[in-house]
Amino acid sequence: MKAKLISTLFAGLLLVTPFVAVNAGDDDKHHGDDGALKKAVAEATAAKKKAASVGGEWRDIGKFLKKAKKAAKKGKMKKAMKLAKKAKWQAEAGYKQVMAQKTVELPSYLK
Amino acid sequence: MKRLFTAAVVIALPLVMAGSAVASPADDSSAIRSYFSKKFPAVELNEFGNGVYAIDKVSRESWEAIEEFPPYETFVDAGEEMWNTAFANGKGYKDCFADGPGVAHKYPHWDKEKGMVMTLPLAINNCRKANGEKPLKYAKGSINDILSYMTYNSRGHKTNVVIPSDDPRAMAAYEEGKQFYFARRGQLNFSCASCHMQNSGNYIRSDILSPALGHTTGFPVYRSKWGTVGTLHRRFKGCNKQVRAKPFKPQGQEYRNLEYFLTYMSNGLELNGPSARK
Ligand code: HEC
Repeated sequence: MKAKLISTLFAGLLLVTPFVAVNAGDDDKHHGDDGALKKAVAEATAAKKKAASVGGEWRDIGKFLKKAKKAAKKGKMKKAMKLAKKAKWQAEAGYKQVMAQKTVELPSYLK
Repeated sequence: MKRLFTAAVVIALPLVMAGSAVASPADDSSAIRSYFSKKFPAVELNEFGNGVYAIDKVSRESWEAIEEFPPYETFVDAGEEMWNTAFANGKGYKDCFADGPGVAHKYPHWDKEKGMVMTLPLAINNCRKANGEKPLKYAKGSINDILSYMTYNSRGHKTNVVIPSDDPRAMAAYEEGKQFYFARRGQLNFSCASCHMQNSGNYIRSDILSPALGHTTGFPVYRSKWGTVGTLHRRFKGCNKQVRAKPFKPQGQEYRNLEYFLTYMSNGLELNGPSARK
């Protein structure tokens, strides 16, 4: 009984294998995208944290990142990547914005 | 010894020079007042406490009609009930605010012991916590009732923010608030001053921008857009979001210091909250 079950499973596995092999190319490509996206999201998240640490985070960065992750789940890798990059760009801009205005003086129209 | 002294002078001199270049709060205030009095010569100082209605005749008319049946009245009543209702331990707000409910003009103030700017909402929650009650939320909800009642009872008192000279941390808090006000932020790269100083009196979409002077006197505010009364820090959040900056936490250090600076600018103006706005 036991032996028979195992051999059936084995046969099943053999049957499935070709499909796995055929699909592998496609999967690999997805994995590649996934890796690049994960990196982009991680970079954007770090940039967001850095901006927040000086009070320079912009309003929609969190939303972009959430949307990026959602898009990735649906397999829309291009869209996800675009959103992650936008989030990173905004986070870096928010940080620079604060750095550029470390010491603000009264504007000239007030003098 | 002599060398040490020279070294100290070399280090201290630039600090002193930098210090003297920084405008004092009184300088800031007089620069801002003279700006607004030139910009709106017909508006008397105390009138600035009415926000946009001080500078726009058209909207002022409908506002005056609204003030005849003030939408914040029920909030004042609800706050009075809160004031008179004992906490579970038998004590109440009276026990924390010994001078009665009309003390809004004593806030914000520098709390030397805590080393921070103390605001009225914060003091209300400190009172609750000290008596075993849950703190109230700082932007929406029933904090606005008790604030409405206390502010209503403070009407006519003059804004009088003091920046004590015996604690450099107070001056630092003021400077932080000032920095916040003039720093550009968000995707739109606007500062508070871009709208409420430089562009005050101009239209932004369907709104006329109110002058910064007098901005704090009327809070909490019933806004038709909110359909309820909201705190000053709720308004700060909204204005941060408008320029697509991430807002800060109500009653966090950023907004408390901002309130310290902004309220100082209105020193001498009468409290007139709660008030009604579009
Ligand atoms: C993009 C323009 C803009 C910027 C920048 C902006 N605000 Fe506003 N603010 C408005 C508008 C519009 C209103 C509603 C109309 C009015 O009263 O000016 C408003 C209203 C207010 C009010 C209520 C005034 C009243 O009489 O009820 C306060 C207080 C305020 N803003 C503070 C701030 C602070 C503090 C900042 C900076 C953190 C800021 N605003 C930045 C546009 C702006």
